[in-house]
Amino acid sequence: MDDEAETKQQKTARKEAEQLEGAQTRKQGWRLMREAVGAHPHLMILGILAGLVWAIARVSVPLLAGAAIDHGIAKGRTGLTLTLTAAIVAVGAVQAIGTGLRRYAAFGLAWRVETDIRMKLVAHLQRLHFAFHDQAQTGQLMAYANTDIQQINNVVLLVPLTIASTIQMIAVAVILLLRSPGLALFALGLLPLLNFSAARFNHRMYPVGMKLQQELSDVSGVVEESVTGVRVVKGFGVERMQRARLSSEADSVYDRSMDQARLRANFMPLIDLLPTLGLVGILWYGGHQVLQHHLTVGDIVSANLFVLMLIWPLRMIGMLVGQLPRSAAAAGRINSILATDPAIDDAPNAHALPDGPGAVRFERVTFGYGRGPAVLDGLDLVIEGGEAVALVGATASGKTTVARLLPRFYDVHAGHVRIDGADVRGVRLNEVRRSVGLVFEDTFLFSDSVRNNIAFADPEAPTEAVVRAAKLAGADEFVRDLPEGYDTIIGEHGYSLSGGQRQRIAIARAVLADPRILILDDATSSVDPTKEHEIRAALAEVMQGRTTIIIAHRPATIALADRVVLIDEGKVVADGTHERLLATSPRYREVLARAAVETQAGVVDDEELLDLPGVGD
Amino acid sequence: MGWWGDNVPEETLSRDEASRVVRRLFRMLRPQRARIVVATFVLMAQAAVLLAGPLLVRHGIDAGLPNAKHGGDAGALDLAVVIYLVLALVGLVLGRFAIILVARIGEGFLKELRNRLFGHMMSLSLDYFETEKTGKIVARMTSDIDAMQELVSQGLVLFVQNAFVFVGAVVIVLVISWQLALGILVIVPPVYFGSRWFRRVSNKAYLEVRDRISTNLSTLQESLEGVRVVQAFGREDAFTRKFNRTNEDQYHANMHTVRISSKYFPVIEYAGVAGTAVIIGYGGWLTTRGVVTVGTVAAFVLWLNNLFEPINQLSQLYNTVQSSAAALAKIFGVLDTRPTVRQRQGAFDLPKSGAVDVEHVTFAYGPNEPVLHDVSLHIGDGERLALVGPTGAGKSTLAKLIARFYDPVDGSVRVGGVDLRDVEFVSLRRRVIVVPQEGFLFAGSLRDNVRVGRPEATDADVEEALRVLGLLERFAAFPEGLETEVRERGSRLSAGERQLVSLARAALADPSVLILDEATSNLDPGTEHAVERALEHLMHGRTVVVVAHRLSTAARADRIGVVFDGRLAELGTHDELVARDAHYAELYRAWSTHQATPEVA
Ligand SMILES: Nc1ncnc2c1ncn2[C@@H]1O[C@H](COP(=O)(O)OP(=O)(O)OP(=O)(O)O)[C@@H](O)[C@H]1O
Ligand SMILES: Nc1ncnc2c1ncn2[C@@H]1O[C@H](COP(=O)(O)OP(=O)(O)OP(=O)(O)O)[C@@H](O)[C@H]1O
Ligand SMILES: [Mg+2]
Ligand SMILES: [Mg+2]
Repeated sequence: MDDEAETKQQKTARKEAEQLEGAQTRKQGWRLMREAVGAHPHLMILGILAGLVWAIARVSVPLLAGAAIDHGIAKGRTGLTLTLTAAIVAVGAVQAIGTGLRRYAAFGLAWRVETDIRMKLVAHLQRLHFAFHDQAQTGQLMAYANTDIQQINNVVLLVPLTIASTIQMIAVAVILLLRSPGLALFALGLLPLLNFSAARFNHRMYPVGMKLQQELSDVSGVVEESVTGVRVVKGFGVERMQRARLSSEADSVYDRSMDQARLRANFMPLIDLLPTLGLVGILWYGGHQVLQHHLTVGDIVSANLFVLMLIWPLRMIGMLVGQLPRSAAAAGRINSILATDPAIDDAPNAHALPDGPGAVRFERVTFGYGRGPAVLDGLDLVIEGGEAVALVGATASGKTTVARLLPRFYDVHAGHVRIDGADVRGVRLNEVRRSVGLVFEDTFLFSDSVRNNIAFADPEAPTEAVVRAAKLAGADEFVRDLPEGYDTIIGEHGYSLSGGQRQRIAIARAVLADPRILILDDATSSVDPTKEHEIRAALAEVMQGRTTIIIAHRPATIALADRVVLIDEGKVVADGTHERLLATSPRYREVLARAAVETQAGVVDDEELLDLPGVGD
Repeated sequence: MGWWGDNVPEETLSRDEASRVVRRLFRMLRPQRARIVVATFVLMAQAAVLLAGPLLVRHGIDAGLPNAKHGGDAGALDLAVVIYLVLALVGLVLGRFAIILVARIGEGFLKELRNRLFGHMMSLSLDYFETEKTGKIVARMTSDIDAMQELVSQGLVLFVQNAFVFVGAVVIVLVISWQLALGILVIVPPVYFGSRWFRRVSNKAYLEVRDRISTNLSTLQESLEGVRVVQAFGREDAFTRKFNRTNEDQYHANMHTVRISSKYFPVIEYAGVAGTAVIIGYGGWLTTRGVVTVGTVAAFVLWLNNLFEPINQLSQLYNTVQSSAAALAKIFGVLDTRPTVRQRQGAFDLPKSGAVDVEHVTFAYGPNEPVLHDVSLHIGDGERLALVGPTGAGKSTLAKLIARFYDPVDGSVRVGGVDLRDVEFVSLRRRVIVVPQEGFLFAGSLRDNVRVGRPEATDADVEEALRVLGLLERFAAFPEGLETEVRERGSRLSAGERQLVSLARAALADPSVLILDEATSNLDPGTEHAVERALEHLMHGRTVVVVAHRLSTAARADRIGVVFDGRLAELGTHDELVARDAHYAELYRAWSTHQATPEVA
């Protein structure tokens, strides 16, 4: 086989594609920065104008100094020397004001742009579909909004400063040229070299910058995850493992940073060398010109001052050149997120959700996550408005998936999901979401007061509504016992509450939203049996007048429903009352096996257990 | 200095604190001593080269060019030029060297800092993570350390180099002409007072910035983690607004520092220009009196640049230094947080026995009301105990105390007869394992996630653990088998699957005491039954504590403890407790009412 040739070809093709993609990303990164800067022209203009004033003032100082040495000091005219000195003092004041304004404008612009882009990024992330967030890592996304945006700031900051510096350099060049072309040639002749080496530097720096940003976001990812998963880390005592993970990320950051430092080491000293060479050139050429009486010592001194004035602008340009590739990489990364359109969004001709009792229809629904296997495979399910249905199925049978399709967190691959007759894809998204209240199987609460957590859907809700929702969810009692009642701030994830307490707050949150369709996804798993019947009674009230889908494993909870639907292998395989399914569906009995067997045989059940010592005797 | 128009804030890094931060910084840099010494020499050499330049210019002008004393000497001029050129090239090489050396030191320091800070965070007790927001903790490890990156990668070289140049320039200027040097003194007062003001005011401003950044990051972190809830309730706009607020706060904090430095830098720059003016005016006067030569005045103008440029740059860098110092202070704040649950000196390994004794334990979270009151409980080695009770009764708390996530306020917990406070952590974590309800998975493969149970386990061990629980087939059937990426928090899996992975971790570990805190609550009863039985076989002879709401799970334990309102209300076998007709009996009645399904075939 021509395997080898092909791989080689593939390799070059891949490399080319990568390079193309890199260039593409970079270009888009530029555009993002340009647009963000363009939104604040006044700051940019202020920065450049102040820079201009500053540059002119700054350039005048050596002119005045040179004149003072030549016409004042050398000729012993004290009066003129003093006048020129006073002029220097005055021009200095203008220069100082210019510096202040220029800094203000440059930094102001940089922070404004940073703030704007971060806002844009975060607003966009909030709108991105579930599938995106399934793939993304919180810690890494945080790095985008933090480390990467910082890089953009670094470059935006330098832009007006560098423009002013460039103007100053041009002014210097012009003055020197006018006064003595020869001197100018020796002082500045090597500057074009800068251009060349900057381009080379830039080219090499970009991939390193990209990798460094990636490594930094990996660090962020490991930290974020270790912190959120700290219970597992501690539970299994794997602190050392996490430390090792972080340590390897820290090593990579070090390596990439050193790559960067080495590149900088090739470039930066060159930038300092150029003005020094200018000074040497001036001394040599100027000195000989003085010997031949073509120039004066004053000319040399002021030329020196001019060249000295180039040091900082040159460094500034050097820093900009050093910063640009990394910033372009960072901006490209951010742009790649901004360029991701929400896959789930209003259709162009999206319409309002028709009024109705909350009837639900799944018609031949086929769905799988990403390119993975189909999870739902031609699922048909009809739920009348106001009906309460229990979804039952084995672990990983797709119950949660059904619950996620209804509020259109994902789009079906084939078939239709309808609410009151309307396909959810044609309805305005916020109406679909408002009509469905979902209690997630893993509870997430915000670090905020209990009241605000419950009133999440409607922060304006009156206290009575909040308390009513809490009562219906069986939460009121323990909330009142909290140190500050409904105003108690609960920690992130609600960790200062017990598991069952958290679930009840989550139920209250959904109840308060008053949706047409309420979905409880395994939302009573941590609720104890005694409370369960209280909640049952309350839920019965909640369920009044709305459609309810209950995903549950416990017969007690299942019993809340009018009807049970058994899901298996992506389809509805049985449908009827609990009792009927127990009687007719072997699969149903299997899924609930233990509960059923136990009730029949007392509690300590099957004979397999009897041979275990300590059990059954 | 009221004329700045800002009120000077009182709360800044005090001098004491600041010097402590610096001392600590040096301590942390100690391992890099050799490198630092070399780098110092390189930077000193570089500064010397830089300062030699004006000397050569002076020499070239005074000895090479015509003046009152002689008619000029081309040879002397050329010699000065050649030496200057050589020095410039030496400077280039030194510069290159300096950048790499300093980067090694700085980046090495940051690496060390990352490792140490994270290591310390991981050693902190659970209560730290419950009180601090995740976003803030992450900010310490990311944005705060990044703040120092800039100092390290660009600033440090400039900083040290400029300091040397400054000192060198002062010395040279004094030696060459103290008269002229005195003239330069005029720039000292504005620079001194300006800098003092700046330091005081900006100190607080930068601390404020770090605070705002971490607050902003926490808002972001929460909105990302809760993004599904946010979207489910259509609250995207509200969250975006909330973020907008913290984001703008961060902007304003930053702008405050900009306003401060926009006032400060003009003063510094003006001082530089004023210095030039003085040298020209005063120097001119001195030349007419023959005290100094024109060459000296020319060289002084250059040196003034050497003198003033470092001040200017140092103050530019002061920005970076200030934010780094503020960041470092925050980081040291974390490093100074002592874990509330600590290993004491002379702690020893936990013995292998799995007998658990909870003796008169009272416990409260922080300053709150106690959630456990005087709980005593003995669990025999190898016994299987179930904890049941209403929500919020304290079951999970009791479980966490047995694993020493917290220390009891009163009383003690013993495992194998040893007080947990005397036990070495590594052995404790190996012997006592808690599987919490939320099956938290890390981004990574299924295999790596199971391996969390025992990090040194081989692939075969992992597969064996899964096989024993009857799960191997299920997970091997995934598209990429055990290599399947489960993604952050295991979002690739169903809730039940996540719990199965957590259970497999427990099966891989080799504990003497296993605590399952509602670890099977999301499983369908069929799967739960199968997995539990397998786990029972596996854990045979070891102590197992099960917290469960499904009484079917509880009822199969050797004994059942009923936790009620922070007290151990009942303890006994299922039959005993049912016979007793109290809490458990009531729970059980509630439970079995709905289990009763007469039609069962
Ligand atoms: N975000 C996702 N990406 C890819 N695959 C997924 C994702 N979420 C779930 N799956 C897969 O889809 C299948 C169905 O998952 P689902 O969460 O719907 O199950 P479930 O019936 O709710 O199970 P459980 O009772 O365990 O919660 C599982 O095999 C799971 O691995
Ligand atoms: N980290 C915490 N900080 C403050 N209070 C807490 C914390 N964790 C739990 N609590 C409180 O302690 C009490 C006992 O909580 P615990 O988690 O032990 O209950 P539980 O019996 O496990 O309940 P559940 O069955 O709901 O899981 C509850 O009132 C809870 O609000
Ligand atoms: Mg599910
Ligand atoms: Mg609990």
